[in-house]
Amino acid sequence: MDRDLLRQSLNCHGSSLLSLLRSEQQDNPHFRSLLGSAAEPTRGPPPQQPLQGRKEKRVDNIEIQKFISKKADLLFALSWKSDAPATSEINEDSEDHYAVMPPLEQFMEIPSMDRRELFFRDIERGDIVIGRISSIREFGFFMVLICLGSGIMRDIAHLEITALCPLRDVPSHSNHGDPLSYYQTGDIIRAGIKDIDRYHEKLAVSLYSSSLPPHLSGIKLGVISSEELPLYYRRSVELNSNSLESYENIMQSSLGFVNPGVVEFLLEKLGIDESNPPSLMRGLQSKNFSEDDFASALRKKQSASWALKCILISGFHQYLL
Amino acid sequence: MRHFLLVEGTNEKWDGVKLGMRSIPIATACTIYHKFFCETNLDAYDPYLIAMSSIYLAGKVEEQHLRTRDIINVSNRYFNPSGEPLELDSRFWELRDSIVQCELLMLRVLRFQVSFQHPHKYLLHYLVSLKNWLNRHSWQRTPVAVTAWALLRDSYHGGLCLRFQAQHIAVAVLYLALQVYGVEVPAEVEAEKPWWQVFSDDLTKPIIDNIVSDLIQIYTMDTEIP
Repeated sequence: MDRDLLRQSLNCHGSSLLSLLRSEQQDNPHFRSLLGSAAEPTRGPPPQQPLQGRKEKRVDNIEIQKFISKKADLLFALSWKSDAPATSEINEDSEDHYAVMPPLEQFMEIPSMDRRELFFRDIERGDIVIGRISSIREFGFFMVLICLGSGIMRDIAHLEITALCPLRDVPSHSNHGDPLSYYQTGDIIRAGIKDIDRYHEKLAVSLYSSSLPPHLSGIKLGVISSEELPLYYRRSVELNSNSLESYENIMQSSLGFVNPGVVEFLLEKLGIDESNPPSLMRGLQSKNFSEDDFASALRKKQSASWALKCILISGFHQYLL
Repeated sequence: MRHFLLVEGTNEKWDGVKLGMRSIPIATACTIYHKFFCETNLDAYDPYLIAMSSIYLAGKVEEQHLRTRDIINVSNRYFNPSGEPLELDSRFWELRDSIVQCELLMLRVLRFQVSFQHPHKYLLHYLVSLKNWLNRHSWQRTPVAVTAWALLRDSYHGGLCLRFQAQHIAVAVLYLALQVYGVEVPAEVEAEKPWWQVFSDDLTKPIIDNIVSDLIQIYTMDTEIP
């Protein structure tokens, strides 16, 4: 059982879920120890003192809590965890595969302060950022971030986040002379995050591929053209100039939305496996399926039986004995 | 009668999986099945035959062609688990002919409208959008996508697909998945518009609650395979 996940759910739903779980899952050995520890008052905030907002949620979602408690052995099983590690993905620029959308927070109209805070919480070393050079000094250059090039696709253009690229992280373009002379203010730069000071909101980047994780090391860092800006950013800019456009409209008018292979593509992107289709119905748990019940197995048996019958009818078998 | 229908729906899902059908063709088959019995009298037709024909028809519509032989074999196996596969005799061929004729009947009853906008495509896009906004470690350790997909697949055991818009169903299963794991969408409180409103302009909280409630109800018919 995934303890952390269970605790997260309990923190949200509180003591009523805990008692429901106790009664529904009392026969389940995995839960007995978990439910014991989850109720210990010394661990974290006790469930009996919920936040105001959470309390309101609990009153009207008792149906959901009952559902959770009945299905808890399936929902919190470790087998649901995806095996793929959390590698940050390359920004999929091809608009043909699926509808690439502007960032969700832009539609939700989340205040800049919160976007900024969450950016500095979630950005990681090795993420690719794209920005414009704002000033060049003798120790390096500063750039103002426009968008991200990997991992989480966020709306950061208006947040005026600056990053420093120190001189030592700028590869030289000639044998002599200053590596920085190659660059000008206004240049669009693609770089890798090398250092983060989350508290002071300071970022250091590098133009060397070594700053990127292995699976992204093929991505070219340095000066890029405006055509190379990620599609999600261009869509975001379009949305800014036409802020009344809805998510639904943008999605449905996107070429990628009508791609016949869009479902397969996104299933893979999200790590959902259709060969072992997930379900919360007890009767549909794949461990209950026998291989003999599947179409191909049945067909083989049936064909074999028919083939034998044909041989017997023809009398050919006499010659085999 | 309703119970019977739901059990039949369950049969169909088993068949779908054992036939290797992908989610969209299964969804189409179930929608055809549910829609057919809305338009006709439940007693007038053999539900098992209708189920097999729905699967056959859906396979054609969604470009995942299935052989009638496989459909018959898997269905038969369900009803005679200990028996051998049907012999390829006249009875078998009659059954096969029935399916093909039934297909034409169903097409007529449904006025040849057998192509549907399913929630699946919408749900997948919503998941991608949400994934970018959530902290990547939060996302990694919480099976929101898989659970939402499971909920959507399971919803076809009931007739949700006929009563609600595709986008609304997609949002509702995502909403339930987030609720189940206690996931909070960052800065929800500070946002001008809630995430679920972003995904569908005409969606309201009561609609979400209705769908979630109906979906949870579907699971009460769930039983183990005997």
